[in-house]
Amino acid sequence: MSDAIDAREITRAFPSGLALERVSFSLPAGEVLALLGPNGAGKTTTVRVLNGVLRPDAGVARVLGLDPTVDGEEVRRRTGVLTENAGLDDRLTTRENLELTARIRGFNTRGARRRVDGLLERFGMAERADDLTQGFSTGQRKRVALARALLHDPELLFLDEPTSGLDPAGTRDVIDLIQTLAAEGRSIVLATHFLGEAGRLADRMAVLHRGRLRAFGRPDELAADIWHGIGAEIDLGGGPAETTLGAVRGLAGVLEVRPLGHGLALRITDRTVVPRLLALLAQRHIDVFGAQARPPSLEDVYFEIERRIVAEEGAMVTDGFLATTETGT
Amino acid sequence: MSRRPDEAEALRPPTPPGRRDWEAIRTVVRKDLTAVRRSKAIVLPMILVPLVLLVAMPVSLGLFARSADSSQVSRVLSSPVVSSVTVDIVALPEREQLVVLVLGYLLSPLLLVIPLMVSAVLAADAFAGEKERRTLESMLHLPISDGDLYLAKILGAYLPAVTITWVSAVIYAVVTNLVGWPAMGRLFIPFQQWTAMIVWVAPAVALLSLGLLVFVSSKARTTQEANQLGGAVILPLIFVAASQATALLLVPLLGVVLAGLVLWGVALALVAAGSSRFTRDRLATSA
Repeated sequence: MSDAIDAREITRAFPSGLALERVSFSLPAGEVLALLGPNGAGKTTTVRVLNGVLRPDAGVARVLGLDPTVDGEEVRRRTGVLTENAGLDDRLTTRENLELTARIRGFNTRGARRRVDGLLERFGMAERADDLTQGFSTGQRKRVALARALLHDPELLFLDEPTSGLDPAGTRDVIDLIQTLAAEGRSIVLATHFLGEAGRLADRMAVLHRGRLRAFGRPDELAADIWHGIGAEIDLGGGPAETTLGAVRGLAGVLEVRPLGHGLALRITDRTVVPRLLALLAQRHIDVFGAQARPPSLEDVYFEIERRIVAEEGAMVTDGFLATTETGT
Repeated sequence: MSRRPDEAEALRPPTPPGRRDWEAIRTVVRKDLTAVRRSKAIVLPMILVPLVLLVAMPVSLGLFARSADSSQVSRVLSSPVVSSVTVDIVALPEREQLVVLVLGYLLSPLLLVIPLMVSAVLAADAFAGEKERRTLESMLHLPISDGDLYLAKILGAYLPAVTITWVSAVIYAVVTNLVGWPAMGRLFIPFQQWTAMIVWVAPAVALLSLGLLVFVSSKARTTQEANQLGGAVILPLIFVAASQATALLLVPLLGVVLAGLVLWGVALALVAAGSSRFTRDRLATSA
């Protein structure tokens, strides 16, 4: 399958400093990428560069097979963007806001009207079509902005914080919608702080930190790089006896065992260890009330990566401080 | 991903690369005009200022000029110092001189305040206002070229400025002729220089003001900031325009045309300079 995005060594600086530093990654068509990182990590800059809004100082990108610095208009014709701020003109009605975009995107008057009506219906905003957007709630603005991003049936979607400001029902609706869009074969770049939604939606994750790509890949692959094995929990209905602990430790594939108040926490090489473990416990007439292999979630992976980055930066600061002190400067 | 046939029918033919997308330009212009029409803070000054300049002032000053004694004025206008430029007025019957001087030559130049003001206010809204309302980012992600977007923004401010100026000029001509009629008994506005000022100089003034505000707006983050920065440039210009345009109407027609030409040159240079600075990259960086 061809890549929807192929970014190589993208670098972009602002007067305030480097926003992106040699960022490289690729996203196969039809996959969802979660672009993660703290505020100021470079997520929005990445989206802007890929959509031909900002020019990189160095590096090249191909988006849907096109170079955004050369064919920016064509790239933007085939991508849809939900910016973090909905960016609706409050002096226009919902319909006017959408028809403006539809007309610029090449729809004729009738086509624009039909498409806008359909999307407003889909997003539950048809009744507010002729109201000025001034005074709309964050959720309503977000829905209108999402409808706007989908007007032209884009092949690639950039969604910047699509659920921020939404209530739980709205969040669920948007996540369902993104899942539907992904199932239709669209490629999606999801820049978000909400790791739960990223975990549900993303095929791959990219962790940006101060403009540098610190991790990229499938969450399970990244987890395998970080940790040896996967976690598991066994519910024994109470704390385990020493003999039980010893027997479990001796089982092939068990890497680590910790007693819990209600059973065992383990690190095992893979999930095939679980049935063998259950067989062992059954053999020893120990009741098992529940057992679950728990592969690390995207959230676990992200926080571990962030923890390592912070530790690494702390070490660098300490090293720098020591070096400075030692040289007496 | 291929489009469904009904969607393909809904699309207008794409604009060939390198050509202006006039439909997109028209759409942005229409959007800006609709938005401005609904903004009281913009519409009110655009109605009130012309109303004062073009109705209240000519009526009150015209009534005064019509009934005042013109002999003193006639003596001043005939003095050797100014007679070379006031020859057209001096040639009129004495009872007409004050009316023509006040309504035709002293007050008419205030018409140039209209294009200066209107295009400054609209340009601030179109350029700095997009940043302030945080609508710029979503606009930058649309498939419209930098050049087309710039042109749309310029036209969205320029066309109303010129239209309002020309409508104001017609209103002014009607009001002044009505007020002056008892003394004049004939239409005295428009005259050649006045027409040249309205048709040739005023559009140049609108573009000049627009060019300055585009420059200022690139530095400002809000409409208010753009208006404040712009005020520092536009207010002195208004003063100069009002004072110098009196002389403009007193010089021969060719002088008015040449003055307009200079203004057009400066205005076009400013707008062209603005165009080279109006790139997505710069806008996104400053948004």
